[in-house]
Amino acid sequence: MNNPIIALLGNPNVGKTSLFNRLTNLNQKVGNYPGITVDKREGKLTKGAKTYRIVDLPGTYTLYPNSLDEQVVFNILADSNHTDYPNLVVVVADPAQLNRSIILYQQAREIGIPAIFVVNMIDEVEKKGLVIDFDKLAKKLNTKIFQTNARTGEGLEQLIAAFDEKPPLYIGDFAVPTAFNKALEEAKSLFPLHTEYATWQFLAQEHISFISAEKNNALARIRETHKLTTQALQKAESLARNKRLSMDDSIVRTQADSSKGDPTHAIDKILLHPVFGYVLFFGLLFFIFQAIYTWSGPFMDAIDEFFGYLVSEIHTRLPEGPLVNLLTDGVVAGIGGIVIFIPQIVILFLFISLMEEIGYMSRVVFLMDRWLRPFGLNGKSVIPLMSSVACAVPAVMSARNIENAKERLVTMLVTPFMTCSARLPIYIVLIGLVIPDTTVWGIGLQGMTLFGLYILGIVAALCSAWILNKIIKNTHKSFLIFELPTYKLPDWKNVLLNVWDKTSGFVIDAGKIILSISIVLWVLGSFGPGEKFNNAEELIKAEYPTLSEEELSKEITSYKVEHSYLGYIGMAIEPVVKPLGYDWKMGIGLIASFAAREVFVGTMATVYSLGDDVDIEEESQKATVLSRMRSEINKNTGLPAYNFASGISLLLFYAFAMQCMSTIAIVKKETGSWKWTLIQTGFMTGLAYFAAFVAYQLLK
Amino acid sequence: MQSNISLDKLKIGEKAYILEYLSTEIPAKFFELGFIPGTEIEVKYKAPFNGPIGIRIVHNNALIAIRKSEAEVILIDTI
Repeated sequence: MNNPIIALLGNPNVGKTSLFNRLTNLNQKVGNYPGITVDKREGKLTKGAKTYRIVDLPGTYTLYPNSLDEQVVFNILADSNHTDYPNLVVVVADPAQLNRSIILYQQAREIGIPAIFVVNMIDEVEKKGLVIDFDKLAKKLNTKIFQTNARTGEGLEQLIAAFDEKPPLYIGDFAVPTAFNKALEEAKSLFPLHTEYATWQFLAQEHISFISAEKNNALARIRETHKLTTQALQKAESLARNKRLSMDDSIVRTQADSSKGDPTHAIDKILLHPVFGYVLFFGLLFFIFQAIYTWSGPFMDAIDEFFGYLVSEIHTRLPEGPLVNLLTDGVVAGIGGIVIFIPQIVILFLFISLMEEIGYMSRVVFLMDRWLRPFGLNGKSVIPLMSSVACAVPAVMSARNIENAKERLVTMLVTPFMTCSARLPIYIVLIGLVIPDTTVWGIGLQGMTLFGLYILGIVAALCSAWILNKIIKNTHKSFLIFELPTYKLPDWKNVLLNVWDKTSGFVIDAGKIILSISIVLWVLGSFGPGEKFNNAEELIKAEYPTLSEEELSKEITSYKVEHSYLGYIGMAIEPVVKPLGYDWKMGIGLIASFAAREVFVGTMATVYSLGDDVDIEEESQKATVLSRMRSEINKNTGLPAYNFASGISLLLFYAFAMQCMSTIAIVKKETGSWKWTLIQTGFMTGLAYFAAFVAYQLLK
Repeated sequence: MQSNISLDKLKIGEKAYILEYLSTEIPAKFFELGFIPGTEIEVKYKAPFNGPIGIRIVHNNALIAIRKSEAEVILIDTI
């Protein structure tokens, strides 16, 4: 059975998402459009015996796409073979910016889609002193006009009742300027089945993804012979439509002083202030990162305890054996490694979506564009770079709303340099090992080093962006234009849903990879070829006859790891890591870390026969790991394995290397290119090797 | 008096009408967000060190930010 599809179309910041949440009442899911990773928000609405599919299209000002998100809107609305091609479009309008929405409505109707018109945020009409002549508007658009307030639910019933309505025939409002008539006539012969306006849209865009290459080429030839550019056609349309609208300005009137009662300007005077604006922004950043670390602590401890408890329960209830070990050390530990990140991700996205809801995010773009532009980035790159401090996976995804293809690519390529939360446990352990716990001028040296590593991440990201900017050719001139919307109180339902989407997306997408890698690692570490692995128990017992039962079992585990597949791999790569100051045991840790950095500490604990359920958050256990690692001797040099030189070398390696399968996977998905993904992985890891090599050779 | 200058020369609080664009490379999005020749605008904010400029489109009270490099190719008629 085919349920009718209702698509919500509208400018950004018109309360479209609130309306969507109201209509679907949480009965919704977020997926991806096939082939590209633009969030596809879809839900169900049941009314009586009827069920509607509600699709929330990305926000856009017109049907002409400037970004990947907007491309989706055009592809759905202009291609009647698209699986999401709607039966009815609901154009959602902001009463203060009615003209823009009218143009969007006209474009949708003229391209051939039935549409109705909704003026949302109806409470703003009075607040902003607007007078709207709804009868006149209905007449002009030849459709029913609905008035809603998605936050209170006002007017929703009438809107839903209209979903079955067939809007009356609509006569186009846009007369193609005569200068383009010839070109349009030629194009029309290519598309006999489309409306004239649809053909005009095809002619006014560089590439239409759902029509054949021959037709795209034919369109390009038409533009060439008539010396037309797509931008000129689009501008001509915008000009003509706006002219028509301004001739008829009796629909909306502003009563008295419109700026009265709108505190936006007063707030912006502070938030966009050349000095205080930055002070407040960095203060907020500082607060967010403090919150990420301090607020998440108790939750992370609880999660850790829970998984520890789960492992011990499984061990007591089930018989010992490789299958149970796979369950505890592979599966449960793997899932625990994913779940542990949830508190941090939730807190980060709580702040990010709040900033977006309120309208502050575009102010951040305004403040930061100047400082990122010299590196070939864009004000909008701030969001991915900032988010990356928690995790590069959602951060890379958030680069989608950067319009310029090159700036978007560069942003995605450099984002993983930022210090993500998975690097933190490694930094803590290594700093504890090699940096003296003293204070210089009242500042803790260890804390300083940690701060320095964060700065290093930022510097590496910006410098690589600068280099990439020189290498990659730009297809389009970089430009930046964006609206600074009026401040609004957040719609908490939107915020919480957004946090839920991002978190569940992380758990499922990155989780799959982390889980499978941890199983592979468990297999490599738990099995080995030949005598030594299989007879480890007898061999160790013969060698250390005096050891207690507990110590004996730890020695056996360690011996087993040494002679497992993982151990042999570690020894095989030793020549490669030797110039960096590492031995084969650290090599194992590095290999394991290529799956995900966070497994380093656990792997090292296994190798050093401490048992693998070490919790570095707990002081006593952290001390155990540290003292064990401190006493470890590198057999090649005869020096402590973790001395100052090798420690710094290791820190640098972790700061730069691309050691995260999830990030590689998401970059491949988002760039759609193995080439760039491999260049990024190679560049980051090469830089890591180089930096670690130089540091070790200088310091040793 | 001839007063045609580019938009980036305006100071905060000054108003002007948009006349024309000096570059054809400026995308149509500028038109769509309200920077259409004939429109009255007012400069509201400027980010420091030649950063973006916040401009109010007077007739619909929308606040739009553009870069200085883009403001340089927009010719205006001061009021």
